[in-house]
Amino acid sequence: MIKKNYLLITPAIAVFVFLFVFPFIYFFIISLWKIKFYKLIKDYNLINYNKAIFNYVEIFMTTYSVSIPVAIITTIIGFYYSYLARFKTGRYGLAMIFIALITLFGGYLMKIYAWKTILGNEGVINSILIYFHIIKEPLTFLLYTKVGLVITFVHFLLPFAILPTYASLRGVNAIEIDSMKDLGAKFYHIQFMLFFQRCRTGVLASFVFCLLIVSGDFLTPFLIGGKISFIGNMIAPKFGQFFDWPLGSAMSFTMLTFSILIIVLVSYLFKWTDPK
Amino acid sequence: MKIQKNISIILAVILSIFLISPIFLVILFAFTDRAIASFPIYNFSFKWWIEIFNHRQFTSCLINSIIIGVSVALVSSVTGTMAAIGLSKIPTKSASLILAIISIPIMLPPLVLGITLLTFYVSVGMKLGLHTVIISHLLFTQPFVILIVYSRMINFDYSVIDSARDLGASPLKAFLTITIPIIQPVVIGASLLAVALSVDDFIITFFTIGAGNTLPTLVFGMMRTSLKPEVNAIGTIILFMTISSSMIALWLTKYRG
Repeated sequence: MIKKNYLLITPAIAVFVFLFVFPFIYFFIISLWKIKFYKLIKDYNLINYNKAIFNYVEIFMTTYSVSIPVAIITTIIGFYYSYLARFKTGRYGLAMIFIALITLFGGYLMKIYAWKTILGNEGVINSILIYFHIIKEPLTFLLYTKVGLVITFVHFLLPFAILPTYASLRGVNAIEIDSMKDLGAKFYHIQFMLFFQRCRTGVLASFVFCLLIVSGDFLTPFLIGGKISFIGNMIAPKFGQFFDWPLGSAMSFTMLTFSILIIVLVSYLFKWTDPK
Repeated sequence: MKIQKNISIILAVILSIFLISPIFLVILFAFTDRAIASFPIYNFSFKWWIEIFNHRQFTSCLINSIIIGVSVALVSSVTGTMAAIGLSKIPTKSASLILAIISIPIMLPPLVLGITLLTFYVSVGMKLGLHTVIISHLLFTQPFVILIVYSRMINFDYSVIDSARDLGASPLKAFLTITIPIIQPVVIGASLLAVALSVDDFIITFFTIGAGNTLPTLVFGMMRTSLKPEVNAIGTIILFMTISSSMIALWLTKYRG
């Protein structure tokens, strides 16, 4: 009987193993090889990691100087949105979650495109402000800057932050919050308790997801960032016009390692806030 | 107290508008006649819609997107449902471990997944095309199907199966006439979600399709050159496909946040 159940899982596991585990191991092995005259040479060494870390220090700094703030901002706004939907807006709360769900499926590429049209010099924001004579010259700090990048990323990732935190908040009863208030807890006490303790799983899931996605993105910097480049913008061409798989692979693993280190650090921080 | 309540509602409205307005604007500007997306809008027209249907590549891209989306949905709903049924019958602890492991591809940046698959396909000598895109998409649609169907299966009332078996139905007959009709809405919902995820994907498609195009890669090509207003019309089609299928999916699976 047990065998039959495992048999049912086999096709899904096979897809996972043949399309993820094997390719991923192979992809890692490639990072130890090198390239010569557009051919892969099976010569095992760590030179690519050396290059990936030391030649791209500035790019890594830029990547994380955007992705860490984005992950924090998105998680906090996402948490607050869920909080409003759960406790403060009554029956409109479900409408708020519905809006989050529509945005979730509203297209990755289309969202970036939409922000490009909104933030541009002749875009929606500038044309409205000029039309109402609030400004004379278009605001140029919106597009092709870090400001634009952060806005686009936060918008794209918000639904992914809202849904897990809302799921966590559904386990919290309004009576608990009222009794905390009755016992003299201030607004920030309650928020702190909800954010770090009751929603810990949802909040952490949201932070982890946001950090991994932003640090590995290349399309948003390419279209919204102007001259700002992320590590992804350096990795992607290594698999296209600047053929260098080993270096590209080493850069990918370096990036994943950095992101995972940050995540480990943050989860320790969360453990530290736990009174138990 | 009253003021605090009003502030909450104002914040909720502002955040909701922030979330929804970019999508709303893409659709709005698809129906204007201006060459750039800016206010004020003077005339509404179907100009860009006529233009995209005359576009050389548009139809083939639309067909490619549909072929990929439907194939991905069919395959991942079969493998995903089988896995979900199997997982629902083994101890919860090992089931959630398997679920967590199988969901790793969702957490990885799509760029890493895309280049991993590209190097793998090229190295084993597979020709890139629609088939490589389809099998690549399985990696991130399958976990969603499994999660959705699994959460239905753990609440499944097995006594109805037992009664059918007691009344003489074979295990297969019991499965086909009882289990399948009961879980059907959830499975259809899950596969519609797979369609939405697949149609929406750009990065993995971009690396694994080779020479072809889907709607998102076509849009990307247009975006690189300049802001062409046709993009709004194609974007509206993509949005229509992903949002309508995911909304039906949420309704069928009774998802409530």
